[in-house]
Amino acid sequence: MRVSRVLVANRGEIAVRILRACRAMGLDTVLAASQADLCSLPARLAGRVICIGPAKAADSYLNIGAIVTAALATGADTVHPGYGFLAESAALAEACAAHGLTFVGPRPDQIRQMGNKLEARALAAGLGLPTLPGSEPVRSVDQALAAAARIGFPVMLKAAAGGGGRGMKVVAEAADLERVVASAAAEARAAFGDDTLYLERYIAYARHVEVQVLGDRFGNVIHLGERDCSLQRRHQKLVEEAPAPAIAETLRQAIREAAVTLARGIGYENAGTVEFIVDQEAGSFYFLEANTRIQVEHPVTEAITGLDLVQEQFRIARGERLRFSQADITFGGHAIECRITAEVPAEGFRPDPGRIDIWTPPEGPGIRLDTHCHAGYTVPVFYDSLLAKLIAHGRDRDEALERMRGALGRFQIAGIGTTAPFLHQVMSDPDFVAGRVSTRLVEQMIGRIQAETESGVEQAP
Amino acid sequence: MLFGSLSDDDVRQIAALVEALDHSGFDSLQLQVGEVKLTLGKGAVPTVVAPVAAPVAVAPRSTDLPALAPVEAPRSTAAVAAPGPAADGTVAIVAPILGMFYACPEPGAQPFVTVGAAVAEDSTVALIEVMKVFNAARAGVSGVVTEVCVKDCTYVEYGQVLFRVRPA
Repeated sequence: MRVSRVLVANRGEIAVRILRACRAMGLDTVLAASQADLCSLPARLAGRVICIGPAKAADSYLNIGAIVTAALATGADTVHPGYGFLAESAALAEACAAHGLTFVGPRPDQIRQMGNKLEARALAAGLGLPTLPGSEPVRSVDQALAAAARIGFPVMLKAAAGGGGRGMKVVAEAADLERVVASAAAEARAAFGDDTLYLERYIAYARHVEVQVLGDRFGNVIHLGERDCSLQRRHQKLVEEAPAPAIAETLRQAIREAAVTLARGIGYENAGTVEFIVDQEAGSFYFLEANTRIQVEHPVTEAITGLDLVQEQFRIARGERLRFSQADITFGGHAIECRITAEVPAEGFRPDPGRIDIWTPPEGPGIRLDTHCHAGYTVPVFYDSLLAKLIAHGRDRDEALERMRGALGRFQIAGIGTTAPFLHQVMSDPDFVAGRVSTRLVEQMIGRIQAETESGVEQAP
Repeated sequence: MLFGSLSDDDVRQIAALVEALDHSGFDSLQLQVGEVKLTLGKGAVPTVVAPVAAPVAVAPRSTDLPALAPVEAPRSTAAVAAPGPAADGTVAIVAPILGMFYACPEPGAQPFVTVGAAVAEDSTVALIEVMKVFNAARAGVSGVVTEVCVKDCTYVEYGQVLFRVRPA
């Protein structure tokens, strides 16, 4: 497969990230941009820009015809979808193949297998991976009630076509199930065009651990260690770190091996992630889902392995063998990533797009910032609120935390509200510092912050 | 303008030429190297530059045209934020979608519009093909066509100026 001119079919910080990898490899670049992004930083970095449609993502970044036509029109031979948008679209991968374009990602059949959460779970179970007690597709409230009685409350109601934390609802008791099933089905239909639902046991104080894998078309599969992404809000990740802190070595190895077993089992090609839920109290882990794309949090893995995952994606896509065996992969130090978004935590994480007046990023040893933002940039209202990913790497977790606290403290942003001050508080939270993280920790911390804010209001005259 | 066969280095060299011209006493520069023909200039540029190595494409055959009674309703150019009237009083009709621009309804047929043609707001002025789906581009303005800005069978970007019209 030829890879010489890459159409970057994405925007924001990941577009910048992909363009930099292309430049390092001497590849020509074309940015497929919506009308709202024609003056963005990635548009300035790209070799050229092609306007694929209006601001509305459905008519631009989600328009497979526009993406493929843009590649053909500009003489690109390769399409990198980034994450989000069409990154896990088997239809885009197929359209690229049909037009002789190299799609940077796995094969369409693999995207489809992993995209259907029920099919992925059955595949994982068939390969011997532990899965959560769960149901077949539920087609009625009665079926859901019967399944929930067998699994035991609380249960998690999930959309088969969901993913990335979307289409999931926790149901605490039988009385809530009818209402939640109806709204979840409607949401899944609207978001994914498929209202198939299923149930899984819900583990409240769980940790979310995922393993980065790389595979080539010759059947070689390796892992690049795991990331802990337990710090979430409404199933959206806020902070990620690698390696996972405070976890038994035997459990860590078992999780890494399970991920490789799944990837090898389906002959996985390119970069992917296998996600697991870890039950801290029981010391057990369960397969959750697999993601067939480069992930937002890939830089923490890059920090501890010294690899450039996007460059490896291009090498795999053009048909090269993996350059490393498992024994070649070594892990150095600890890395933490904070996702800085245009949201106001004290106001229920209200989105706050607008013009950035001051943007003075921190620098220093072990600090990396992936961003498309700069002073004078206007954050558009049309897309997600991610502004920047701040990554701190240190010899150990304490040093990484120290560097992250310093960097967040020095980061000056004005003009829009961001989560940076909240993340600074998170980095000093006693539970987080001790590695006692769970998917519930952020909710507890937000509760504390809101209580402080409200008591402050009462004291005001 | 889409430079299908140019590398990033080529584009950088063109940018350097633009800069050099900008600082020179000349109004325009024409350059031809093999099949690549480049015209740079300030003010009224003599002609619109043809896209380099325009991809070989066939205009839609009439048998392809059922797609014109579209599955997707053809988008109106009115939806695109077209620039306001130019200094000469003309209005731009811009591409409502990225794709292959066809000036004629089928090969060998007369173009939908030519310079001097009168158009109404809902007149079809071109077809734009995206992966075998043909979208009708509408004038969105009534008046007389003063300029055809794009060559037949070339790719156009979303928002690219296709025609200029003097409003009635």
